[in-house]
Amino acid sequence: MKRGLITWDKTEISPAVFDKRVSGAREVLVRRGLDALVVYSELWRSNQARFFSNFMPYFNRALLIIPKDLPPTLLCGLSPRVYGWIRSVTTIDDVRPAGNFAKPLFEIAAERNWNQIGVLDLDRLPYDIHKALHGAHLQLKSVESAAVFNPATDETELIMRRKAVALTKQILDEEMPAAVGLVDHDFVGRLERRFRRAGTEDLVTLLTNGKTVPGPPVGAKLEDHFSVSVAMEYRGHWVRMTRPQTTPHVLAECRKLLEGKVPARAEYLDGSYPYECGDGKILALDIEYSLEGKRLFYGDTLV
Amino acid sequence: MLNIERRRQFAELMAESGWDTLLLYGHSWRKDFFRSLVNFNFFGPHAVAALSSSNELSIVVSHPWDYGLLAGHVDANITWDANFTKILHRLVSGKTAIAGREFMEARFVDESTVSATSAIETLRRFKTPEEIQYIRQAAQLADAGYKHFVDVAEDGMAEFELVAEVEAFLKTNGAEDNFMLIGSGGTEVYGMRPPTDRRFRSGDNVTTELTPQVHGYYAQICRTLVLGQPNENQQRSFQIFKEAQAAAQNFIKPGVNVKDVARVQNDVFRREGYGEYTGAKYTRVRGHNLGLYPDENPWVLEDVDCMVNKGMVVIAHPNTYLPLSGYMVFGDTLLVTDDGCVSLNSTEKKLFTKGV
Repeated sequence: MKRGLITWDKTEISPAVFDKRVSGAREVLVRRGLDALVVYSELWRSNQARFFSNFMPYFNRALLIIPKDLPPTLLCGLSPRVYGWIRSVTTIDDVRPAGNFAKPLFEIAAERNWNQIGVLDLDRLPYDIHKALHGAHLQLKSVESAAVFNPATDETELIMRRKAVALTKQILDEEMPAAVGLVDHDFVGRLERRFRRAGTEDLVTLLTNGKTVPGPPVGAKLEDHFSVSVAMEYRGHWVRMTRPQTTPHVLAECRKLLEGKVPARAEYLDGSYPYECGDGKILALDIEYSLEGKRLFYGDTLV
Repeated sequence: MLNIERRRQFAELMAESGWDTLLLYGHSWRKDFFRSLVNFNFFGPHAVAALSSSNELSIVVSHPWDYGLLAGHVDANITWDANFTKILHRLVSGKTAIAGREFMEARFVDESTVSATSAIETLRRFKTPEEIQYIRQAAQLADAGYKHFVDVAEDGMAEFELVAEVEAFLKTNGAEDNFMLIGSGGTEVYGMRPPTDRRFRSGDNVTTELTPQVHGYYAQICRTLVLGQPNENQQRSFQIFKEAQAAAQNFIKPGVNVKDVARVQNDVFRREGYGEYTGAKYTRVRGHNLGLYPDENPWVLEDVDCMVNKGMVVIAHPNTYLPLSGYMVFGDTLLVTDDGCVSLNSTEKKLFTKGV
């Protein structure tokens, strides 16, 4: 759950980057005759709204509204008492209470004489919001994610993901050699401390001693050749990395296997969930390697 | 892993409601409906448990590793499939009700289905003995976590560094997850939020709510720490919060209404001349239920009509802003018993101080 440092470091992502992304979305709006684009955001599905505004909710839900010709508005389920915090970490000035989402959106649309708006991945909205938004005079058109949200072709996205990968590799390289003999909870705690202190927003850690696939810690003592799979989110950018604690030779074998792998099933990190399957261009790939009857896992984030 | 008592309750509910199929859906944020029957901490984005009127159970998860961990551990037909749109439409059979229907992606929802969310929430509101045992463990961990919070917090430390230490402690001690907010400063602070890079200073209120999750179940503790000697306003403010929380704890028993649990807390603020700080401008809720979700219904508010009964686990926390010393928090996880309630927390009920 998001509880790390949610911030906006403008030396990492400048306001101009967000301006460019919003401009790209507006070009699509103009081409399709749409007055605005609505982007849904929640605790886990936050990356698309974050791409345009750096907004990430730590709880609750929100709709980011990007008009074709005005600054964005955020309809937000969080308390107005944290609007100041939201403004301090996002590009958004206009933050409003969400209510049931439909009423404030319809009011904005009426004020601005909007007839037709786009909703990013309309059929992926939560059912209650989807239902609330239908039935009014305002026409809703689905805008497919790929039309406006392309992290694999956004240089800043790639820089941030590479930074997240480098951070993950560094921490795993430093922590794993001393982990054999620790109880898995203890190792997970050590990773939490390192990653959170380095500014990680969210972290999912899965482990195995080689008898199963990686899973949440269960109180087991970590043995030689254990594997850890980490999904970490840094400034809204998910990456995954899986490593076994093993010999350099086996690591090299695993790497070779991964490089030669043709993914039968793509897990992509273009979306919101770190363990989502489907299409995309930023892939999390894992391979399994057998050693002395143990299952070792190795994986990376690839573009 | 299977909650037998819930399975029995859900089967009864299905019979009473005339449902042929009950789907308990979960995604990464809201695993609670799924876990109320199948207490498996999936990490793939989706999972669903399907209960038939003949009491057969099917489980579908969306990631192969989830399948690998679950298969063979539950007496059910278990499969995995990443295409949840197809899966959820395929599971619809006869009159089908879905718990979690409202937060499912719209493409997953078959319009012929009905919502079971409210009915299942009502059943889940009253915890089974096994669930209470898990929440007790979570409350003990919350106590230990708060002790660690106080031990580690110091002048000059950044909020996010303190949160990192507390998260590490809780995970080391077996927490699956933890919902945590923090605030620091003085009268300029109106609430809590995720940690920032603000560094603590002498005289700060450092507020937090810790909500560790054990075996799926959350317990919560809210306390305020003052770095240095508390000033007169901080002490006076804390006394109001302490009295308000005690008013709730002394009041809660089977048969009272949640709206009155809110009222008795707010009345303390009103009596002290701070009634305006009990409204939505300065606060959210006077507490809420706890369980597989850290913010379960009912929310403790004066306009929420819901009877309290034995087996509910609720936090009463009169957290709000006061001009005396800024935003302050104070609350315990309370278990409703036959004739009252007991706190599941053992942390001292005081304004904590550090570095005096």
